[in-house]
Amino acid sequence: MNDLYAAVIHDVKNQLAELALRLGERADAQQEMNIAMNAARRLSEMLLVIRQEAELLSVNPDSVDTGDFLAILAAEYRELFPTLELDIDTGHAPAFAFFDDALVRLALSNAVHNACRSARSRVRLAAREQDKMLVLEVADDGPGFPDATLENEGDAPASASSRGTGLGLYLARKIAELHKLEGRNGRIELSNDGGAVFRMFLP
Amino acid sequence: MKYAQRLSAATTIASIRIEYRELLTDRPRVRRVRIVFNRRKITLSNISKFADKWVLVIDDMEGMRSQLRMSLTNSGFAKLHIVANIREALERMASNRYDVVLCDYSLGDSTDGQQFLEHLRTNDLISRNTIFVMITAEQAYEKVVAASECAPDDYLLKPFTAGQFNARLEKLLERQEYFAGIDKAADAKDWARVIAECDKALPARNKYFVELCKTKAAALMHSNRLQEAANLYREVLALRPIGWARLGLARALAMQGKKDEAQQIAREILADSPQFMAAYDFLGGQLASSGEKKAALEVLQKARAVSPGTMNRIRELSTLAVSAGQPELAESVMRQALQKHKYSPVRQVNDYAILSKALTNQGKADEALSVVADARKDFRDEHSQIILAATESVAHRAAGNDELAEAALAKAMAGDINALPAETVTAIADACFALGKEDEANKLLRHAIQNNPEDETIRSKVHDVLIAAGKEITEANAMIEDSTQEVIRTNNDGVRKAESGQFDEAVELLCEAANRLPNNLQIVSNAALVIALALVKNGNNPQMLAQCLRYRDLLVKKSPDYPKIAQIDSQLRLLQPARSSQ
Repeated sequence: MNDLYAAVIHDVKNQLAELALRLGERADAQQEMNIAMNAARRLSEMLLVIRQEAELLSVNPDSVDTGDFLAILAAEYRELFPTLELDIDTGHAPAFAFFDDALVRLALSNAVHNACRSARSRVRLAAREQDKMLVLEVADDGPGFPDATLENEGDAPASASSRGTGLGLYLARKIAELHKLEGRNGRIELSNDGGAVFRMFLP
Repeated sequence: MKYAQRLSAATTIASIRIEYRELLTDRPRVRRVRIVFNRRKITLSNISKFADKWVLVIDDMEGMRSQLRMSLTNSGFAKLHIVANIREALERMASNRYDVVLCDYSLGDSTDGQQFLEHLRTNDLISRNTIFVMITAEQAYEKVVAASECAPDDYLLKPFTAGQFNARLEKLLERQEYFAGIDKAADAKDWARVIAECDKALPARNKYFVELCKTKAAALMHSNRLQEAANLYREVLALRPIGWARLGLARALAMQGKKDEAQQIAREILADSPQFMAAYDFLGGQLASSGEKKAALEVLQKARAVSPGTMNRIRELSTLAVSAGQPELAESVMRQALQKHKYSPVRQVNDYAILSKALTNQGKADEALSVVADARKDFRDEHSQIILAATESVAHRAAGNDELAEAALAKAMAGDINALPAETVTAIADACFALGKEDEANKLLRHAIQNNPEDETIRSKVHDVLIAAGKEITEANAMIEDSTQEVIRTNNDGVRKAESGQFDEAVELLCEAANRLPNNLQIVSNAALVIALALVKNGNNPQMLAQCLRYRDLLVKKSPDYPKIAQIDSQLRLLQPARSSQ
């Protein structure tokens, strides 16, 4: 990528960082902080999609504690959506799992953000082991995914105006697929079950 | 204080929120009390947890500095130092032990956060137990940095919220506490204790299991228990083919002499993840040490294309380029790096020495001399002066100023050679070769080898100097081997003499060697032991006892768990029962 573009994006994210911290000191600015954080995440996603399309995106799996991982994610979104209940269920998670912490965090952030925006009152984050795969699940109690989203399950977004979800889901799918082990690839699954359910399966 | 001052009759507390969170126990505990007034939040959470932790923040941007100060204070941190650059950071770190270091990745145009971390780790300026968090605005950097040799404990991707930051820090502090004993042993380079502590913790197979394996394997490598290290890396690889475990296995194999297998693994890692910087460095080093300098250069050049890299790689690359007959490359790489790191503490005097050498080898002796003059301004300590004098000598020689060359070399050799670090000694040897003083050069190199018997870096450095002086690879290897054998013979002779009761001869032989080779712990420990044995047999002698204790202290200082210390002490106790109670 062009160095100038990269420098500008870098600069914008620095400014957003300062803005987020300033807003964080106020008790009445959750929505504003939310906008700043979301804008920054969109930039990160865009950068990663560019890297992915140039086949420069690679994963570095290492040992991650899924409990800690989800707890940190939840802490962030509790702050951004203080009226929602964010529960974590890691009762059936392995003691440690292997994945690329930073990339999966970004992929899941998008899912959690969408869930928090659609939820009526609750979002549930869960991790468990199923058929030798780690399943990371984000479920909300909102209206569920629209049919169109369920159909294309994270295909490349048709247009830039698809309100964010398209790009995020596409990237989540790519990140999942980059996790490979012994011929098995990661994947994502979307379904509606009392709300939207996002699942990431990692080998 | 600020909040208290603002509190007036008109201000009402808008809400008090108490958050419950379960932590390991079933009993809910109050973790966070949030008071909101004047539309500002004060979080009283973690006050007990964070209040006594020393934190250092390094950020070049004024706005971020003040925001981080505010956020950290609000989160309950009370002991904060906030600085704008790494020079100030190093000053703070010299006088203060920090629990947490938060460092921005990009620190203006100069040395970046990753280069700073590498500098801290290579020079043992930071405890293993200090949490180092890299703050970065770019996902891309993170990938490159993550796969390098010294990874920080965590990354915070900008922007982040205070809640996210606190949650991460809580986890990191939990880890810090869990690893406290292990990290302390590692700081003391007490590898036996690191291994023992890991062995105690491993059976729980908890969330730290893999990291414990990594720590233990590194300690096994340090203890030269290569087969066990290789086995442990294989155990981790059976769980998952993680990059660091693959590279660890390659290292262990290389040190066991299985070079082909090691190189093969490194190439496979790079095929899978071209951003795994440590694998380039390893592969480059392997190729260089087996004489394949061109191939080594290619690998390091490829690494540079992925990430411009830290000073360690620049050093490797330019040293290699000089010895592979590509001084132009060395010059351009090193000049660029020194320009970037102008005024930065990550520079070393040797960087200027390499640049000067690269210039000399291109026939630009005048420029080489001006590089030395530049370096003199920044590196005023005694060892640097010696290295620069040696470097200057080579440049003068190339310029045809033989008298000046001799004078500079004489200055370099004026001090006590035994007390110099091996790097300095090899620099002087290099100059000796350039001035045609083969005997002196060989003597210096033998000394460097014998005084650092286990040190592979020194061996390869000596090897480089010999090759640069025009020796064949076989000749260089023979010289290194011969030097090693000579000191082993001296040691065995001394021990044999002591065993057959010839204590005076044994003491004389080993003490002479120990004084000459204070870094060779086998020699030093045997000298101490033989004196102790002689004292037990022949009766006390205060002068000899003092000498014995001097060797013993040297030993304890360099390697506190050196096995022979116990043996020396038990002899000393026989001699003077009162000592044991001290």
